[in-house]
Amino acid sequence: MKKYFLLLFFVVSAILLTGCGETTDKRVNLDTGVKSDNLANNALTRPVYGAFSLLIGEGIDLKDVKVFTNDAGFMEIQATGYNRAIYTKRFDYKVEWLDKNGVVVDSKASVWTPVSAKSRTTFSFKTVAPSKDVVDFRMNTRKTPQ
Amino acid sequence: MKSLSKNNLHWCEGKTMKNLLILSSFSMLFLIGCAEVQKIDTTNDTGKQVLSLDYRDFDEAASKMIQSLISSGTLAKKDGSRYVVATGRITNDTMQRIDTDLLTAKIEQDMMKSGQVVMTSAVGGKDGKGTDQTVYEMREVRDKSVGEEFKQETLPQKGQIISPELSLSGKIYQRNLRYDKDKQQVEYYFQLKLSDIKTGLRFWQEEVLIGKRGSNKSVAW
Repeated sequence: MKKYFLLLFFVVSAILLTGCGETTDKRVNLDTGVKSDNLANNALTRPVYGAFSLLIGEGIDLKDVKVFTNDAGFMEIQATGYNRAIYTKRFDYKVEWLDKNGVVVDSKASVWTPVSAKSRTTFSFKTVAPSKDVVDFRMNTRKTPQ
Repeated sequence: MKSLSKNNLHWCEGKTMKNLLILSSFSMLFLIGCAEVQKIDTTNDTGKQVLSLDYRDFDEAASKMIQSLISSGTLAKKDGSRYVVATGRITNDTMQRIDTDLLTAKIEQDMMKSGQVVMTSAVGGKDGKGTDQTVYEMREVRDKSVGEEFKQETLPQKGQIISPELSLSGKIYQRNLRYDKDKQQVEYYFQLKLSDIKTGLRFWQEEVLIGKRGSNKSVAW
């Protein structure tokens, strides 16, 4: 029993200490295979996490949507998301632009546009309205057809 | 041996005809099913990709070009007036027979919708094919005797055509690469630039890449 508690102690210590040694500048993302492995993330544990991620169907989380008007007076949107899946996620988005009456402003740019988000990374994409009459939008997404 | 009576013979012939009718009906239904035509749902097309350029690729390229052009602020004149833009030469350097209007028409449409641009039909396109010939035909009519049939104040006068200030030009080109022994890679580059006609300066430029990989058995033309 004592042996097991000692082993557990060493494992937990290793995990905690490994975490303390990492540089935490969130602007730089070190991918698996680039950064060093640790006890929590290595060739043995990754398949387990991967299988669990697939099982629960992890995908894209939308983190932030920035809406602003550019210097020319057009609405611009930047959407930021995080891909929680263990594989690269490809999806399409389509924006419908609305004027002050809530009527759709037609645009040839309102088509399904592909986005690719690498596994476990933050990504962003932006789009600009076709007309200064646009005051609002709605965005739809779909899985990229294969 | 029981000989076939007339009634039996008729019955056999009738049954054979009936079987033939059923067989030919099924065959027709099968052939009709094979020849069925489906309309593409262009709003939400989930059809598979093809190695050559299809409408979805032109939509994607045009969309990215429009986004880049509008967000660049290039078309924003300081006094708020509109630029007069002509579509110049768009070269097709691919192995496919493409009408480059498939790309430029979409861009022109959104440029005009932005309220910053008015397109000219007086000049433009390769060998002037982007123009509306009616602009010049009416001037020929004005100069001929038939012009006297028209109300003179409704005819176009000399010196009225407005010269374009900017020109949109570019090219679409294709690169074919061997990916591996079974697959090929085809890269389509859409390049557009916007130039000031008076000074020759280039105000905006964008390149969109659409890449595809497919079987060596597929053709990219």
